[in-house]
Amino acid sequence: MATRKKPAMTTIEVTQPRHAAQLYAGALLSSRKRPGVVKALKPVTYVRPAVTLDAAEVAAYAKVCGFKPEAGVPVLYPQMLTFPLAMEFFASEHCPWPAMGTVHLANRIRQHHKLNLGDLLRVEMRTGELLAHEKGQVFTLEFVISRNGEPVWDGTMTALRLGVKNPVGEPYVSALGGEVDLSCQAGFTAPADIGRRYGLVSGDMNPIHLSAPSAKLFGFRQAIAHGLWTKARALAAMLPRQPIGQAEVTVEFKTPLYLPGRATLWATRQVRGSLPHNALFEVRNAKGDKPHLRAQLAYAVAA
Amino acid sequence: MTKTQASPAPTVRRVAILGGNRIPFARSNTVYSNASNQDMFTATLQGLVDRFNLHGERLGEVVGGAVMKHARDFNLVRESVLSTTLSRDTPAFDLQQACGTGLEAAMLVANKIALGHIECGVAGGVDTTSDAPIGLNEKLRKILLEASRAKTMPQRLAALAQVRPQMLLQPALPRNGEPRTGLSMGEHCEQMAMAWDIAREDQDALALASHQNLARAYDEGFFTDLMTPYKGVAKDNNLRADLTIEKLRSLKPCFDKKVRPEQGTLTPGNSTPLTDGASAVLLASEAWAAARGLPVLAYLTFSEVAAVDFFGEKEGLLMAPAYAVPRMLARAGLSLQDFDFYEIHEAFAAQVLCTLAAWEDKTFCKEKLGLAKPLGKIDRKKLNVNGSSLAAGHPFAATGGRIVANLAKMLEQKGSGRGLISICAAGGQGVVAIVER
Repeated sequence: MATRKKPAMTTIEVTQPRHAAQLYAGALLSSRKRPGVVKALKPVTYVRPAVTLDAAEVAAYAKVCGFKPEAGVPVLYPQMLTFPLAMEFFASEHCPWPAMGTVHLANRIRQHHKLNLGDLLRVEMRTGELLAHEKGQVFTLEFVISRNGEPVWDGTMTALRLGVKNPVGEPYVSALGGEVDLSCQAGFTAPADIGRRYGLVSGDMNPIHLSAPSAKLFGFRQAIAHGLWTKARALAAMLPRQPIGQAEVTVEFKTPLYLPGRATLWATRQVRGSLPHNALFEVRNAKGDKPHLRAQLAYAVAA
Repeated sequence: MTKTQASPAPTVRRVAILGGNRIPFARSNTVYSNASNQDMFTATLQGLVDRFNLHGERLGEVVGGAVMKHARDFNLVRESVLSTTLSRDTPAFDLQQACGTGLEAAMLVANKIALGHIECGVAGGVDTTSDAPIGLNEKLRKILLEASRAKTMPQRLAALAQVRPQMLLQPALPRNGEPRTGLSMGEHCEQMAMAWDIAREDQDALALASHQNLARAYDEGFFTDLMTPYKGVAKDNNLRADLTIEKLRSLKPCFDKKVRPEQGTLTPGNSTPLTDGASAVLLASEAWAAARGLPVLAYLTFSEVAAVDFFGEKEGLLMAPAYAVPRMLARAGLSLQDFDFYEIHEAFAAQVLCTLAAWEDKTFCKEKLGLAKPLGKIDRKKLNVNGSSLAAGHPFAATGGRIVANLAKMLEQKGSGRGLISICAAGGQGVVAIVER
């Protein structure tokens, strides 16, 4: 349950994530929000003080996303631990906009140390900045995960609230601009049920991912794959089948991947970067001429 | 005790390359689908005979082979000779050393000429993967053999009663795989690309250069006296003169599934396709050439063969040329940089790049080759300058003859110089040679 703590920098502790149905009731109810002009997000921190990296949950996630058991805890898995916090935020009065109609624009994660099954982690999410986008208002959510007081993982979720007139903040700039020559690396299928399967392991049961009828209610002709599933599926192909020490992955979501569908992974490793191994990649449609997402990857395998 | 005069030790003679001939190479199951190995090799030999006016001549020997060979073709080369206008007194024999067949055949003929056993000879090779030998179902074959050994009718019927209908529909197909590892050659080469960290981009660039170089060579008329059109084809049909790097980038890796899932670098664009074709080269002593007024293009001077333990010590399957070349250089007293042309057979772009990387690698050269310092870099502008197998295609046994003839002509055009040939072969083998003028 969410319990309120002291104001100023508001901190909200989430010890027991609510049931998905409750979360979605909240998310849907949030559709009644009619904010005026939003100048800034209220500084608020949501915390899950003690979360254990559960072997069964990690394995279920890894299987759905294509990670092999020998890769250990997938670098994108900790993002799953932040999801209940994001949902609490969207349903709360701290988020000025409804959850529905908010688009996941980009996601950046950094892992500083190898994570192990059974690790006891503290998961924090705080509200970030506002950026102006041609299609609406961009806002960010910042995540920090620590182990024994030491940050081991952090991330930024960049979301776009469509249709906000006169958005505030600095102009939003794509972190992954520029033309890069990529080569077709692999093809993969996004099965019809992947939205439901990923929904179960991630907790993200947004109806636009679950089925064609539920997606149609929200204006999509078919269900669309979770952006973070597509990112994870591509990372499973790009990363070696061994545990990762440090990693940094920045992704920008471009177009929806309709389910069921076929996609192609395009990549180059001929790039320099901050860590020993670097790559740029895109997930494109089957033909390879339309990107679903574009990403930059840097990693070092665990010592 | 009577002393018999020992016969004089044979003097070693220079071996001249007088020319070569091949039919255009064709991708498997295209224009040569219905041509047999014997058809193609006969056409190639006849073209050579026509070009050098060898009608009715008795040559010292014709040596060649095919990697994919039907049992009925046990005397493939001799049968081909009998179908040409060469003298029927020309002896011939078959040999086979996988993709090294053509070059090994040339070395064999060259050695006989060098020692004075013969004055002239033809070396070549042919392969078809379209007209592939399909065997009987192995169980059916065993049953038929058992039936044929049976002494009585009941025994025979008992044997034949074991025949099941599905045996007729499940023939034994030839496999493009290493018997000891079960991996295809492409899968082995993908492992090598991983071990040597060969980038996909570099492989595609090499493939593009191969097509561009071959296209330019055709435009310059380089092949006019090296090729006989066959079945209406005058150019290798794998050549893509308009190939772009974008097209190569768009091809999906095809050998990664077993060895490097979703992280492959070898694609149908930077690997050679299965190909049908044939080639032959005419070798002779200088005296034989002079007597017929045939100009010498170049001389075949050194060769070396190496093999590696690709399933025990886990050296890459196609790395044997990396071992063969330094041994040959040591015998010849040459360095890797003492060449004007490098003809490194492009089984896969990655094979070429792994070999070059190995020669530049300090640790490999010291620990694997036992050299004090690495062989070093080669000038890439001298590599496969008129295209190679990625563009032309690679009918296994025909590649050696294609390269020997090309290189001899390149040296003749240049006037003088030296060329290195390197060919990798199945079974972890490598055949290499030096051609000089």
